[in-house]
Amino acid sequence: MRRRWFVILLLCIPGYAADSDDVVLRAMRAELERARALKFVNLESPYFAEATVDEVYGFSASATLGGLLAANRSQFRSPRVQVRVGSYKFDNTNYIGSGFTYGSNYDVDRLPLENNYDLLRRYLWLAIDRAYKSAVESIARKRAALKNISIGEQPDDFAKAEPVKLVEQVGPATFNEEMWKSRVRNLSAVFAKYPELRTSTVEFAGIHNIQYLANTEGSEIRTQEHLNYVRARASVQAPDGMMLRDALVFHGSLAGTLASEVEMARAATTMAENIIALSKAPMGEGYNGPVLFEREAAAQVFAQIIGKNLALTRRPVMEPGRPGVFASSELEGRFGARILPEWMDVVDDPTQAEWRGRPLFGSYKVDSDGVAPKPLSLVEKGVLKNFLLTRQPMRGFNGSNGRARLPGGYGSHSAAFGNLFIKASETASLAELKRKMIEICKTRNKPYGIIVRKMDFPSSASFDELRRLLTGSANSGGSARPVSIPILAYRVYPDGREELVRGLRFRGFNARSFKDILAASDENYVFEFLENGAPMALMGSGGSISQSCVIAPSVLIDDLEMERMEEEFPKIPIVPPPT
Amino acid sequence: MATIYRVFLILACAWTACAQTSGVLKTLSEELDRNYVALKKVDPPPYFMAYSVTEQDYSAVSASFGAITGKNQSRTSNLDVTVRVGNPKLDNYHRIRGDRPQFTSGSAVVIEETPLALKRRIWLDTDRTYRLAAERLIKIRTSSEVRVKEEDPSDDFSKEEPAVFAEAPPQLKFAEEEWAGRVRKLSTAFSKYPGILTSGVSVMAQSETKYLATTDGTRLQHGRGFARVIVSAVARAEDGMDLATSETFEAVDPRDLPKDEVILAAIERVAKDLTGLLKAPVVDPFIGPAILSGRAAGVFFHEIFGHRVEGHRQKDENEGQTFTKSVNLPVLPEFLSVIFDPTKRKVGGIDLNGWYRYDDEGVSARPVRAVENGTLKTFLMSRSPIQGFDHSNGHGRRQTGAEIVSRQSNLLVESSKQVPEARLREMLIAEVKRQNKPYGLYFQNITGGYTTTGRGGLQAFKVMPLVVYRVYPDGRPDELVRGADMVGTPLSSFAKILATSDRQEVFNGYCGAESGSVPVSAVSPALLVSEIEIEKKQKSQDRPPLLPVPASRETGQ
Repeated sequence: MRRRWFVILLLCIPGYAADSDDVVLRAMRAELERARALKFVNLESPYFAEATVDEVYGFSASATLGGLLAANRSQFRSPRVQVRVGSYKFDNTNYIGSGFTYGSNYDVDRLPLENNYDLLRRYLWLAIDRAYKSAVESIARKRAALKNISIGEQPDDFAKAEPVKLVEQVGPATFNEEMWKSRVRNLSAVFAKYPELRTSTVEFAGIHNIQYLANTEGSEIRTQEHLNYVRARASVQAPDGMMLRDALVFHGSLAGTLASEVEMARAATTMAENIIALSKAPMGEGYNGPVLFEREAAAQVFAQIIGKNLALTRRPVMEPGRPGVFASSELEGRFGARILPEWMDVVDDPTQAEWRGRPLFGSYKVDSDGVAPKPLSLVEKGVLKNFLLTRQPMRGFNGSNGRARLPGGYGSHSAAFGNLFIKASETASLAELKRKMIEICKTRNKPYGIIVRKMDFPSSASFDELRRLLTGSANSGGSARPVSIPILAYRVYPDGREELVRGLRFRGFNARSFKDILAASDENYVFEFLENGAPMALMGSGGSISQSCVIAPSVLIDDLEMERMEEEFPKIPIVPPPT
Repeated sequence: MATIYRVFLILACAWTACAQTSGVLKTLSEELDRNYVALKKVDPPPYFMAYSVTEQDYSAVSASFGAITGKNQSRTSNLDVTVRVGNPKLDNYHRIRGDRPQFTSGSAVVIEETPLALKRRIWLDTDRTYRLAAERLIKIRTSSEVRVKEEDPSDDFSKEEPAVFAEAPPQLKFAEEEWAGRVRKLSTAFSKYPGILTSGVSVMAQSETKYLATTDGTRLQHGRGFARVIVSAVARAEDGMDLATSETFEAVDPRDLPKDEVILAAIERVAKDLTGLLKAPVVDPFIGPAILSGRAAGVFFHEIFGHRVEGHRQKDENEGQTFTKSVNLPVLPEFLSVIFDPTKRKVGGIDLNGWYRYDDEGVSARPVRAVENGTLKTFLMSRSPIQGFDHSNGHGRRQTGAEIVSRQSNLLVESSKQVPEARLREMLIAEVKRQNKPYGLYFQNITGGYTTTGRGGLQAFKVMPLVVYRVYPDGRPDELVRGADMVGTPLSSFAKILATSDRQEVFNGYCGAESGSVPVSAVSPALLVSEIEIEKKQKSQDRPPLLPVPASRETGQ
């Protein structure tokens, strides 16, 4: 599909002069230079300091049933300052109290929107001062904690990185507010045709982000990102009270614009009809056997089960006698082990701008640590060869590969992938995959197999529902990291007939299940989503997002277990719906 | 019968008089009828329902040291649903000790006229609210709490005259660009003061329209504007004490906010006070005579008196109930009266934050003379009756999303023992000498305060002054001091008021309590108090910034 509006977006971005003499960068440079002289009584000076500024131009609008619910324009500059004392080997981070502000703070969380050099310096000065005071407090507490506990050999606290100088031409952005308002209004009116729907909303968000980063190692970076998305959600209540819902997201970035209104309306109609069909579908039953993840659903399970586990979590130094629980990656310790069939590879490549003529959503030039990513081979011939790494060293891995993309805990960033390619060297057509599943069912005397066409990822659940899902999964003996529920799951009978079912979830579906992939399709699906670090990348949670993309074939996985969700359903409203 | 007839007449007049009645009120009315009729058929049936929508249009711009730091605009609309099941004697709102019922959720609704969208939200929220209400009523009926004889056997809901009124929704007229230029320029005035770490000048304007439809027949559409300029500055003393000074100006219409010269003068005061405070000595705990400026006195009355005459606190057995049994007894010195008057729009040319036409239960606003010549006469009432007070006096208020309780409006202190301010100061010095104290205190400006009224907590209050002076009896100039918090207990504090000045001052602000944040004001003359206690303010151990202010001769581009 050709995207004809390619340039419209770029046109409305007037350029800042492409000077390296940027006021923000100059102010950062001046205050970082001064930061070297920070010294608190007889305590150590910083060995590293970094300042970042996110300059954000945003517009959002939401609507329901043809009427606007809200429209907001925002513009802000948000500073973030990091000061490290000690050394790369041992510093104030990776301690349970790292990243907290000690004492009262008088610095601001918003920098002036206007380029006033003196004022920018003033606020950076206050932010660095506070960060330094917190850093010396942190390292003192960390040392005290380590006097009483023995934790064995620890990796370094901070990895060295090559300084990066990258000053791109950037500029502020405006949004065609009236156009987006009318888009969400019109799109939300599509749902008014379906009185069966219980709730529905359509939202637009446009975020233009200019990122500045400078540190005492000599990095100086100015880049920009542009993200637009339209998200439609709807829910329906089945006659037995069960709530069913789905969501639909369209993304656009600097490289490619959003789908047209006609395309969106068509997709919204399909979604509405799907969930209405779902509300009339029979309840699923417990199942054990092969599951075929088609297209989008396959990319979704790779994103949340393989992609997420390719990032490691480092356990911070704890306070003596106060243990904490930290969910580690399911793939931790499996370096060099086979995690996929021998005929599969996984590569993360944020440097690739497009794939088969289509712009890739997860591309970026530098990560949040200011490190430039390179293509990274993660799984070769089924064997785990690497992890997604930031400047926070992990046991056995010291050195960033430029995957710091989300805020992390205890003074560091979290890793996430950009464009994750799942590659299969042995493939078959989707129709053959379905045939193969039917074959297996026949041999094992199973009445039907299961096809999943869409997973609830990123999840459109409410916080309440998510909480129920997490506890429900734990109570049924599932994984501590439950997989999102399937939205569109079908029974496939030996004669090829399909039947939509509802109310099923996976049990014990985890990274190990992927060793049993039986077959992969010859066509790939490109799945774009916004990662925010929340469980199931819950929509609308978390203050930060990273644009992510998975390019994956459909897969047939054997020996998966599905169970019926045992839930109490709310009653149907007493009063009939209004007209 | 006659009453009903009269109501209809008024209703007819109001509808024809006002052509601008919005579709929101029409939708609320229609859905109210439809849902009420349908729910009447189920068990337990509702006996009262209300729908209200609060629309807010908001704009703000702020600047610091000559640069814009933020611009915000928003338009929101929220729905609150009230369902009462049972009967007025005992319903789902009945308070059980330690339990605060919450039914409404203040759902966001469409900000433009889209009847179907609003109807669907009303429908779902009504169902949710009804189920919660029915569930709570069943719990209440089976609860042992109600079987034990309660101290206050009054009803749960009062009967009030329905109100019908519609006015054109206020329009927000905020000249954003003009204000951006003004606050940018004004904020540079702080640059002259090197000790100030951060400072700001901001302006916000808001218009609010409230719609209410109840099954009693109330149909309201009314609103008002709020505009505010805030001037503030922050510094840290060498010993780590955080210091902040500020001044605000309020008006209904942003066009009535003060001119630049007036704001500039406020900036100079705020900056000079703060610079002065940086060098000022730290107070020692002290008990002695003091003058509270009119603004300080307003906050003092709001905290220690106002919150204790809120009606629902007299019924809640978790509350301290300082005044519950004091009706017709003296509670203040005889020369003082306290009136809560939401109908008063201005005092001395200043718009009052706490005026409104109707409260959030649709009861018309009226002046309430709570204390007459020192004697307590009544409480602030919502539609939740208490013993001896069966009706609302128009003080049921809330922020959208919270349940209504009785709240303050415009608190006005009247005095029959007024002296000119100069004379009040002479009286203070005389009192200092009489008590043989080294000095007295003058509380000039104040940031706010808080109080605890609960039985579990201390019956105490705290007022946080910004600017406090020591007043010496020997003619030395007044001395600015820092780090003082005024503390005390209510009953003992009132007895110590000796006299007041003859000039009223206005404190406009927002009051936060269980029904959310509501705009209020407190108006009072300055007070001379024979004894006030101050304690040292909590302070951080942090030092001021280690490096000097960045020095640069570069001007902003």
